[in-house]
Amino acid sequence: MKIIYYIFFSLTLVCVIRAQSYSIYGTVTDTIGKPIANVNIVVIGTGFGASSNEKGEYFILDLSPGVYELEFSAVGYKKFKSDSIKIKDRSINVDVIMRQKAIESEEVVITAGKYEQKKSELPVSSEIIPGAEFIEYNYRNLADALRYVPGVNMTEDQISIRGSSGYSRGAGSRALLAIDGLTFYTGDTGETVWEMIPVTELRRVEIIKGAASSLYGSSAIGGVINGITRRISEKPLTMLNAFYGFYDRPYYPEWDWSGERRPFNGITLSHSNTLGKFGFNLSFTRLEDLSYRRDDFYKKYIGFLKAVYNFSSTSSIALLADTFNKRAGNFLYWKDSRNALVPPDVDNNGRIETNRYLFGIIYKNVLSDKYFLNIKTSYYRNNFKDNGTPLNESTSHLYRGEIQLNAGLTEQIVLTTGVEGNTSVVKSNLFGNPNSFGAGVYAVADINLDFPLIISVGIRYDYSKLDSLKGSGAVSPKIGLNYKLNDNLIFRSSLGTGFRAPTLAEAFTSTSSGGITVKPNPDIKSESNTTFEVGVNYIPFNFINLDFAVFRNEYYNMIEPGIDLSDGLAVFDNVLRARIQGLEANVSASVIPRTLDLALNYTYMWARDVEKNVALKYRPRHLFYSSLNFNKWNLHFGIEFRFWSKVEKIDDELVDLGIVVDGEKRVPVYVTDLNFGYSLYSIGMPVNVYLNVKNLFNYNYVELIGNLREIRSFTLGLNLAI
Amino acid sequence: MSYKNIKTTISILSVVILLCSCDHGISPKPASQEVTGFSGRITFVGTWPDSIKRTHIVVFKDPLLDSKDFNLLNIKFISREIPFGTAVYYYSSKDSSVIPGTEAFTPGEYAYVAVAQQASDELLLVRSAWFVAGVYYTPGDRSQPGKLIIPEDTFVRNIDIVCDFNNPPPQPPGGN
Repeated sequence: MKIIYYIFFSLTLVCVIRAQSYSIYGTVTDTIGKPIANVNIVVIGTGFGASSNEKGEYFILDLSPGVYELEFSAVGYKKFKSDSIKIKDRSINVDVIMRQKAIESEEVVITAGKYEQKKSELPVSSEIIPGAEFIEYNYRNLADALRYVPGVNMTEDQISIRGSSGYSRGAGSRALLAIDGLTFYTGDTGETVWEMIPVTELRRVEIIKGAASSLYGSSAIGGVINGITRRISEKPLTMLNAFYGFYDRPYYPEWDWSGERRPFNGITLSHSNTLGKFGFNLSFTRLEDLSYRRDDFYKKYIGFLKAVYNFSSTSSIALLADTFNKRAGNFLYWKDSRNALVPPDVDNNGRIETNRYLFGIIYKNVLSDKYFLNIKTSYYRNNFKDNGTPLNESTSHLYRGEIQLNAGLTEQIVLTTGVEGNTSVVKSNLFGNPNSFGAGVYAVADINLDFPLIISVGIRYDYSKLDSLKGSGAVSPKIGLNYKLNDNLIFRSSLGTGFRAPTLAEAFTSTSSGGITVKPNPDIKSESNTTFEVGVNYIPFNFINLDFAVFRNEYYNMIEPGIDLSDGLAVFDNVLRARIQGLEANVSASVIPRTLDLALNYTYMWARDVEKNVALKYRPRHLFYSSLNFNKWNLHFGIEFRFWSKVEKIDDELVDLGIVVDGEKRVPVYVTDLNFGYSLYSIGMPVNVYLNVKNLFNYNYVELIGNLREIRSFTLGLNLAI
Repeated sequence: MSYKNIKTTISILSVVILLCSCDHGISPKPASQEVTGFSGRITFVGTWPDSIKRTHIVVFKDPLLDSKDFNLLNIKFISREIPFGTAVYYYSSKDSSVIPGTEAFTPGEYAYVAVAQQASDELLLVRSAWFVAGVYYTPGDRSQPGKLIIPEDTFVRNIDIVCDFNNPPPQPPGGN
């Protein structure tokens, strides 16, 4: 920490001394006096702004004497515009009360397009998870929350957006995760490690569906998950989030291997403050879970730092550091269906240790009213090792840099351009010691015509080279349209292409684990796709929002793991020419305005290998989510229900070879969760308490062959902000 | 859509959730009375060729009518190695095996049971690497390979094979 302070102190010395300035500050509350966090406050007509902290406080600094108007906006609240505020010779206090609104509409802002856009103006389907949900619903992991996003399903820790992925055992991903614009994929396996993201530090998470390679390059072939961290508080703010819970006994006595209710707990301590031009969010999280399965326990430690130095109101530099250490059991498959919560005897006492560190620097500069410069660089060290035979260990170093320039060419045209490069150095007994290199250049123009029609046109070129393999390039163009017929009816459509270079793991893995031996494939090639979508958003009444979309994705040279029947070894290969098409229908309704909200989401997915005319592995054909939330008298009560139809195809080879006994057992997924929350703010205590019951009916199901998902659990948590 | 319709939707949804939740999903298979599997005796006649490096009992689900039938998905059992020079060898599918890695054997009908040998140190799963030293025949019928039939929860015994190095059985297609 000291070093960071020294760096920023040194930077302070070279700053220009500014003239006398004042601030506008205050508190934002709702109609019952509860503070509202993460309210966007903009000083209209200037580049100034702020965000409210967990106590609802906001501070807009460095204002010269003059007359200002403020605009307050927040998810779930009606936009509020202040009267003119005159600053003469002192700072001004402006407290605001915001009213909740029945239905969310266009105030929601998405930054996954690498600059802020209204959700309703995007040409593609998108979803948002508000940061508060991670605490209210006790999502300990970003992946847990993604299980309830329309059109998304998870196979253990592997995300599939509209059927983009099956399960590839941690090698590669078809959805790109970015946190504050820094991408989070490892240099060796290319996987997304959801568990290293400290969810209590997230302000919101945006999910963009469909190929986004024209902006993000490889790995964004199926979509983008874009996490935005909490804004730094202007005043000292310390938060404590803690929970304790336990898994219920298994439904069947045969599975009760431990004879006890297995506990889990977690604690996050964070502090945020601003000291002059320097501000920071610092947090430390410890998670422990003894698990309902044997050899599946874990202890995780997550450290997170976001430190920002504002050179001026228009330029800043930020350091983002995320460290993750985990000691865990290594549960691969069940022994059999009678021993569904214990591993096979030969896999007993499997252990894995992982240490991951990501450091990133983000420099932002509003060069003028029209130009915005964003420079990002990051280093990601990934290390893991198990105690298997043979022992698997890998260390990778991924270096990445990107320069992005946003230009408001005219009032109607925003051009986003950029260039980026990455290189990875790997030392491993699974993958050998390969290196990789990649580079990309992109340009996307969003043209806002007065009809009102928004046209988004973009193109990106990427080059990728994996060690001794032949390098390859790909061009990814896209076009999107958004037409707002009136305030209540918006049409969108997009046609895009994506590509994904194979990861080092997919090309060079050579190891054995859990009875499966994997061999390298030096002939592996990049995969590509084209995606098409048409959607409509309709608000027939002020308490109902309807959204409907149809989509079609064509995949070429799709990389999937399989068994080479000539030698029985697993290998990653370009095996599939696949087609995934379907539709999504979402309904949000405010049954009782500002009190009772209902959401229903249905997705139909037809995912086929078009050459063999068989279903793709691990893609359910029907996804259905529903939630009902009650908010009144400082009380929150919610019920969530999730249905996935039984997947048609799994890793049948593992069943046939006897590696996963009873592996053919799979069922549709019916999961119901209950969430209670109570805010003590109204009686002067800065505390929220939560009670969560997950998998209420103790339903037993698998997402991955031979892996029973979490059984019923109960959690009590609290969140304290002082 | 009126409030009444929405409330009806909520009611229907609640009923659906409750009905769905009567089911508890995946359940354990019933306990077997006996471990499903098979056992028998292998008798070797004659002198073992010096070139032999590996000897295994192998079981195929479908008959070997073509070299392509010799594939990993069709092989359901590869025993642990039979030591070189053995005269009589007693085996059981409950013993540790290369395939499957578990004690229990899947019940069903298997078309071809044999003792196969290799001249390589490594276990190779290609047809050309194998030589069949003996085949299981149904007692009293040596006209064609015998079927191994394993009913549910049954352990089948006396699956005996004779390997006569001086008079090897017909080789399945695809061999050298």
